[in-house]
Amino acid sequence: MQTTLQTVERSNPLGVRFLGFWNTFKKSRTGVLGLVMLTVIILVAIFAPLLAPYGRLETVSISDIYKPPSALHLFGTDDAGQDVFSNFVFGARVSLTVGFFAAFISIIIGGTFGLVAGFFGGRWENFIMRFTDIMLVIPDLPLMVVIVALTKPSLLNIIFVIGLLGWTTTARVVRSQTLAVKSRKFVLRARAIGASRGHIISRHILPLVMPILVVQAVLVISLAILNESALSFLGLGDPTTLSWGQMLNYAFGRGAMSAGAWWALVFPGFGIVWVVLGLTLLGQGLEQVLNPRLDTHHLMPSRPVVQNEARAKPVPSQALLEALNLSIHYVNDEGRAPARAVENVSFTLNEGELLGLVGESGCGKTTLMLALLRLLPSAGQIVDGRVYFHGRDLTALSEVEMNEIRWSGISIVFQGAMNALNPVRTVGDQIAEAIIKHIPLYPREGIPARVTELLDLVGIAADQRDHFPHQYSGGMRQRALIAMALACNPQVIIADEPTTALDVMIQAQILELLDLLRKKLGLAIVFVTHDLGIVAEMCDKVLVMYGGVTAEYANVDVIYNDSQHPYTQELLKAFPDLTKPKKKLTSIPGYPPRLDALPAGCRFAPRCPAVFDRCHAEEPSLHQIGNDGHIASCHLIERTR
Amino acid sequence: MNLTRAILRKAAWSVFTILFVIILNFFLFRVLPGDPARAGIRDPRLKKEAVEMLRVRFGLDKPVINCFESLNPITLGDCNVNPLDTQFFIYVRNLTQGELGISYHTNRPVADVLAERLWNTVLLIGAGQILSIIIGVALGVFAAWKARTYLDYGAVAASLVAWSLPTFWLGIILLFWGSSNGFPLAGKATPGMSSMPLLQQWGDIARHMFLPTLTYTIVYLGEYTLIMRSSLVDVLSEDYILTAKAKGLSAFQILKDHALKNAMLPLVTVIAINLGFTVAGAIQIEAVFSWPGLGSAIYEAVGRRDFPILQGAFLLIAIAVIIANFLADLTYHWLDPRVQVE
Amino acid sequence: MSKKFLEVRGLKKYFEAGRPSFFAKDPRNVHAVDGVDFTLRRSEVIALVGESGCGKSTLALLLMGLENPTAGSIKFEGMDITHLNDGERKSHDLRRKIQMVFQDPYESLNPTQTIEEIVTEPLLVHGMMNTPDRDERVQKAMEDAGLKPADVYLRRYPHELSGGQRQRVVIAAALVLEPELILADEPVSMLDVSIRAEVINLLAELRIKRQIAVIFITHDLGSVGFFADRVAVMYLGRIVEIGSMLEVLENPKHPYTKALISVIPVPNPRLRHERIILQGETPNPINIPSGCRFHPRCPVAIASCALSDPPMLSLNKSHQAACLLLVK
Repeated sequence: MQTTLQTVERSNPLGVRFLGFWNTFKKSRTGVLGLVMLTVIILVAIFAPLLAPYGRLETVSISDIYKPPSALHLFGTDDAGQDVFSNFVFGARVSLTVGFFAAFISIIIGGTFGLVAGFFGGRWENFIMRFTDIMLVIPDLPLMVVIVALTKPSLLNIIFVIGLLGWTTTARVVRSQTLAVKSRKFVLRARAIGASRGHIISRHILPLVMPILVVQAVLVISLAILNESALSFLGLGDPTTLSWGQMLNYAFGRGAMSAGAWWALVFPGFGIVWVVLGLTLLGQGLEQVLNPRLDTHHLMPSRPVVQNEARAKPVPSQALLEALNLSIHYVNDEGRAPARAVENVSFTLNEGELLGLVGESGCGKTTLMLALLRLLPSAGQIVDGRVYFHGRDLTALSEVEMNEIRWSGISIVFQGAMNALNPVRTVGDQIAEAIIKHIPLYPREGIPARVTELLDLVGIAADQRDHFPHQYSGGMRQRALIAMALACNPQVIIADEPTTALDVMIQAQILELLDLLRKKLGLAIVFVTHDLGIVAEMCDKVLVMYGGVTAEYANVDVIYNDSQHPYTQELLKAFPDLTKPKKKLTSIPGYPPRLDALPAGCRFAPRCPAVFDRCHAEEPSLHQIGNDGHIASCHLIERTR
Repeated sequence: MNLTRAILRKAAWSVFTILFVIILNFFLFRVLPGDPARAGIRDPRLKKEAVEMLRVRFGLDKPVINCFESLNPITLGDCNVNPLDTQFFIYVRNLTQGELGISYHTNRPVADVLAERLWNTVLLIGAGQILSIIIGVALGVFAAWKARTYLDYGAVAASLVAWSLPTFWLGIILLFWGSSNGFPLAGKATPGMSSMPLLQQWGDIARHMFLPTLTYTIVYLGEYTLIMRSSLVDVLSEDYILTAKAKGLSAFQILKDHALKNAMLPLVTVIAINLGFTVAGAIQIEAVFSWPGLGSAIYEAVGRRDFPILQGAFLLIAIAVIIANFLADLTYHWLDPRVQVE
Repeated sequence: MSKKFLEVRGLKKYFEAGRPSFFAKDPRNVHAVDGVDFTLRRSEVIALVGESGCGKSTLALLLMGLENPTAGSIKFEGMDITHLNDGERKSHDLRRKIQMVFQDPYESLNPTQTIEEIVTEPLLVHGMMNTPDRDERVQKAMEDAGLKPADVYLRRYPHELSGGQRQRVVIAAALVLEPELILADEPVSMLDVSIRAEVINLLAELRIKRQIAVIFITHDLGSVGFFADRVAVMYLGRIVEIGSMLEVLENPKHPYTKALISVIPVPNPRLRHERIILQGETPNPINIPSGCRFHPRCPVAIASCALSDPPMLSLNKSHQAACLLLVK
């Protein structure tokens, strides 16, 4: 131990962190391209004297005004007979210097203001943010023009003016990031152990604000370069130096246009575009590291269902809803093997039945549920199996046919704690929308009354109909989602953890409501949950999933009193039961498998108390036990027989 | 109830900001050293009477401000003067009467010069903003819809390039292109056009406007496309879109009824924040195309060191931006029910 | 033990909630904690149960000295610590003796720190970085928290660990200072069922091994199991019933406790039982109902409940409840 801690100290955590950052960053092609572009121009600026064929501001010959590009003058010559390429190379120095130094000033000011306002709050924050708001609305280029015009247009002045006026967005960004970090629990934890403000800022706030500040700096540099070029173009550049903006000012003001000397106008501007584009791409790459976005959304076309015609088409039973040997994979772009999220899962649901779908996070229960209505994200794909609703194969329907079934045949109650209601439309409006879509002949004037009736059914007062979701409490949002699910009289409702994240009493209210509605309306319900207690209280049948496969599927009584799968048994032991004071809680060692890194053999084998050799080698098949549809996937069942 | 209160607060804040700008504008031109009226009177070659005449003409014989007794012991200004007879008071009084001073260059009242030009700038910015917003939103929606396809990558790449273009440079390039394609190169109208029928006059203005507006549109298009795209991708990955999909709504219905309004919110914020940058673009474009607006007034005033024009134009632009910003805020309140109750 | 370990008397915390209207003189108050009394013995475990908005998390922050109480007193090992400032708390060693474990292990670890930095940070803050037994302490804390062998974890970052492991890291960071009291605010509610027992068993073990007292804050009485010695039920800023775990579970006296216990799901379909489901939601702590604060939702309320605030009644040595129906 002694030695380990010392090796850790010797290793360089900064170096490790940088390597980690670089490994993520280099995956972003835009970021790398931006970095290369920026490096090239910085090298050009540094080695300007070596690259430039002529000296800084050296007039080659007065008679050589506006000569087109040639071997002698790569970019041609300008109005003063100077070599445009040489001026371009030296101009890079000026533009980059102004950009970097001005941005440095802005970032220091903005960063400090943002940090102080965000961290200390109170009067300081009020004052700083008010001032920032004022400075933000005052248009900055006109103000820069005024100030530079009233002072000497020297490089130093320009740097200071751009720097001193360019901090506002940085202050805002840093403040909101500081506030976000400050509200995180690890800061509270640091306060609880007695850490000083300085410690909290340096150890917890800064490390998390810094990355954002870097991205912001990249943006501010590019803005500073653009502002400098605009100022120079407007005739406010330092006359003793020649930035790209100023080259354009001279060329534009001294007849390059009429002389047709496009080279004097194109190349300097090209330099600005190069730097700014490089910085922008670099910023995008850094942003991608900080805040990885997948850029996927719910409206992206889903992958077609794989129809394995070679396999005999299973015969649907008389059940209302039936999943037969359903397998769902998540395909990824990076060429890795697909994640086998659900494999070979079957269940049946009869009218008025309540099926519990139980499992821990990542067991595939949500994927399975979404697949029933073909609502999988774009990476998800049904690779095998079928879903029958009233004997109709849902996996074979077109998107338009599927839209007919959705909500009018099978509807979903999502988690109300999540953002399942559109925040900018009233609750009543969102319920009415479903009716209008699926019952087009429903008399329009009757819709408000119907919405009120539905809300009444779930215990929401009529005057709440035209309120927005954020005006509802968590429990009410959940009720509203139930009302919405009932809008088109579906036969099946899929309830996706509808009580998770609710207080116990509200949870009990919602469960009671669902149970009541089920009896009153004859609904069949698939209830997705991780809570074994709820399942025991409500369900008729239970499907226990583990790592994407069926562990056990049976009547509720069998699951709780005669389970055959070690996972079901262990899960029950881990669940506190207040009716058994002497029972010691046991936990299942280890953690559920990741679906993209499943173990060989039985997926539960690494955590199973009854594991034996075969479990690691061979995936167990689904075994029928008895005649009442009890199914479990475990090698032990074969062994005991 | 709360909405009115929020709007009143915003309005009061805008008024306060305008006051701040008025004061800033006064002191910038008094504190910084560049004004030739004051530089001129320090010229040793001038006779005493001439200096005195200039001082009186520009009101520089009066004390800058009077002292504010409440601010003691900080000594500000002269305590022995009538507060109504200070440069600051006269500046404020003139402002309330719409007087912004006399142009050094043309000797015409600044207010008159700027009034002629204000509407040309509004015309240019208005046309450019509307076009760039409409095209930007459409492109952004398209890119988000086709996210992670080559069409999307193409739209994003083009937007990034457009964002990186210096406004004036794009103007120069387009001007270069336009000069060989028969577009008018400068100004707002062909001389002598005012005798032609109205329709023809408008056609002439439209031809003059084409290149400046195109420049403006391209420059701001990129940013709006990128914001619309990322905001729509965010909205489309929200849970309520999944709800809408589960409800059996078609993709078009979801986009129209559940996504667009929500995705517009960040764009409105950006448009509001960007108004200042917008003006920056207008100045550069007007300078390139000699479009007779406030921007070219600033450009010319810089060249001629015509400070009263500069001062007046800055004030006018700043106030216009503050008011536009306030209007954008109102739009946001109108779009998002969540802000209304807070 | 003559001195009481932790003694809380009449503790109140009100937050200002802005003015109801522009013309109102007095700002409204959120009565987050509104008169809480309880005591805790050394190495005792108490479960603090209540729904969101009952003030249990604010109570934890008050005990930690991260919020200043509006009224009342907190005594720790006989010393009044109610109004100590940060520096005084540190000099009296309170920042070492009392530690806190939060609900969300994802949020309570700084993603830019390695596990080693996280676990040694308390030592750094308390100037114990260079003590000779530092490595031993770190090792012991990590192994006691179930992170064995410790050196496997030291150089990892939080995102490389699972939820249960992260919660263990939080606990290790608390243990490294050898605390006497741990406040655990919903420590298992974000974890998977199969892992919850692991964390609860860990806390139970620590209490035996290190004589640490634990205040276990939760909205779900079921999740505590029988790990707690006593349970205190909170409603709208007050404790309405307090007593030994077994007694409260078997013989709850306050109608709120009865309802709360009745809705805990029993994982046995043969024992489906009658549930007392309260209607409505916990009222806003800005407008506390008159009389007994529970009366608007109470299924057995009588007329006088709206008028008088019931006092805490001792039913026996280890069981108290505040309900008018218990007054005979």
